[in-house]
Amino acid sequence: MRKVLWTLLAAAVPLSTAWAQDAYVIGVSGAMTGPVAANYAPVVEAMKAYLDHVNGRGGINGRQVRVVVLDDQAQPSRAATNAKQLLAQDKVVLLLNASLSSTYAPMIAESKRAGVALYYAGAVCPKETYPPADPLQFCSTAFGANLDSQAALAFIKKSAQDSVRLGLAAMAIPIARAEIDYAETLSKTLGMTPVEKQISPPPAPDYTPFATKLKDANPNWVWSWSPWVSQVRVFEALRRLGWNGRYVTWAHLNAEEELARIRDAEFYVVGTNAFMEDNLPIHAEIRAVAARAKLEHPVSYLTEGFVAGLVVEQVLRSTPWPPTPQKVLNAMNNVKVDMKGLRGGPLEWTRNNHFRTRQYYRVWHWDPQGNRIVRAQDWQAIDVKR
Amino acid sequence: MQLAVNILVLASIYALICCGYVLIYRVSRVLSLAHGELMMLAAYGLYGTATLFSGHPVLAIAAAALLAVAVGIAVYFALMWRMTGESVLAAVLATIALGILLRGAMILMFGTQTQHPLRDLGWTNASLAIGEARISSVGLALLASTAFVYGGLAVFLRASRWGIRMRAAGQHPLLAAQRGIGLHGVYALTWGLAAFTAGIAGMLIACDAGLESTLVIIGLKAFPAALVGGLDSLVGALVGSLVVAAAEVLLIHYVDPLLSDVVPFAVLLAMLIVRPWGLFGTREELDRV
Repeated sequence: MRKVLWTLLAAAVPLSTAWAQDAYVIGVSGAMTGPVAANYAPVVEAMKAYLDHVNGRGGINGRQVRVVVLDDQAQPSRAATNAKQLLAQDKVVLLLNASLSSTYAPMIAESKRAGVALYYAGAVCPKETYPPADPLQFCSTAFGANLDSQAALAFIKKSAQDSVRLGLAAMAIPIARAEIDYAETLSKTLGMTPVEKQISPPPAPDYTPFATKLKDANPNWVWSWSPWVSQVRVFEALRRLGWNGRYVTWAHLNAEEELARIRDAEFYVVGTNAFMEDNLPIHAEIRAVAARAKLEHPVSYLTEGFVAGLVVEQVLRSTPWPPTPQKVLNAMNNVKVDMKGLRGGPLEWTRNNHFRTRQYYRVWHWDPQGNRIVRAQDWQAIDVKR
Repeated sequence: MQLAVNILVLASIYALICCGYVLIYRVSRVLSLAHGELMMLAAYGLYGTATLFSGHPVLAIAAAALLAVAVGIAVYFALMWRMTGESVLAAVLATIALGILLRGAMILMFGTQTQHPLRDLGWTNASLAIGEARISSVGLALLASTAFVYGGLAVFLRASRWGIRMRAAGQHPLLAAQRGIGLHGVYALTWGLAAFTAGIAGMLIACDAGLESTLVIIGLKAFPAALVGGLDSLVGALVGSLVVAAAEVLLIHYVDPLLSDVVPFAVLLAMLIVRPWGLFGTREELDRV
């Protein structure tokens, strides 16, 4: 009897390997735990849940999608190890990064060595994804450097009835500081007066000292582009100091939940992802998939992960079987993904543009009369040319 | 006026955190590097009790504070007790390991999402006017808690039997033990009190700014204030916190907000050059370190 069991087991091992190779295998290195996990784990989990859902519907081109997720805790050394493992052991045809920018360099190096495309999903889009794009790097993450400030300042200019005295706030991290510096320059070309720029460290025990200086400069509008904690704490400190101007900030994953918590009519968020409040058919699907996968994050956090899932699905659909890294790359260089309303229009990558050809922005705020989140501005498109 | 209020609130945060560092070091000569994690654990405790005792905020806060004391005592008996007689370095390393363990456990238990214990308690962080300045109600609670903790500790250490035992154990553990003082009981109480003060700080910071894993880093940011004041002096912790907070707030306002991150360490560096044992620390203690 024992001999029979061993024989069956021995027969099953190569069979299981064959099954594993009979799937599209993609690999993710993400900050699933650690201090910044709140920004990345929901994206990876939602994307994986969506692709499991796709598998449940019969897969892509009749094949299953296998997603290998490894935790890098936002540490570059772990990201490097993860990338090596995903490429050498799991033989992935696509690498994904959902982590801090400090993990990019080692993953880019491994991606280049293996000739496998690197796709940033939920992680900040590096400038190499903008035109003229690096051949191997792609990005679908909502926020886009410079474009976000263009959209926010355009909204301020359109909404302001008086001359704009602009306050700027950011966290002391390179990407946020660069964006706020860009916004400062841009504001002058739009006829605004930048009155103060506050850069706070990550994290500060009390944001009131930063807000005090900002308030003393007497801005009537403030634009902040940073991790959520910095954006919202500066705003809350400003309000407690008695400032009654308008505050515009970036809509991170938790923006919808936070708008409902803060309930301030003059607190605006600018973003590129639709809110669950819109109640589109895709939102019903997100709710159903999240419930089936027993995801612990609020459903409003999952849009970015679903966007990544839709992109991966479309890319693999355009990748003929058997998949190779080169075939996947070819598919990614010419893809147009229907976002099903999650964004203002389709996400399109070309050989020259691995960010997206057009970025759509909406603005939301809290409506105290209706006691709900409402749109302050509907989709506005910006062409991505640089 | 607003700057003075800002300095006092920031100093209160630092002082509440430093208190635990100083208590543990003064009594047992151990530098606890798990202090930020104990702060965060207490804040999660408040998040848990606020949900458990929904509609009874005072009960929730009292339960969370008691839980913090119990955790401190448990840490001593489960881990630090075994470090008695070992080198100081071994004990410090044990606290680092404890910190890593607690951080991982908290992520597993509570996830990575930001929580808002103040909302769960059913309270709001209202703004109050003091003359021309403003202070948040949590800021006011921080000031009151600091006064209560330091005032209470001063009375406890000078006038109570257990307080005198703690001081004796801190000054000379061997002599104290020979006089019949149970060192394990004293050390356990010290860990309990340190976890309590850290917990108060953690709970109030979480009420003010939300509860997330970066709270641990704030715990470490207060450490220079303890060193500036003198690691074995509670008065020093208070004064050190005030000095560091004043330097930080004034530089943010008059020079560059970017300096706020380095100011505590710049003040510490200056202190180490001029008076390495801190403003109120004793030279003898420094030699021991």
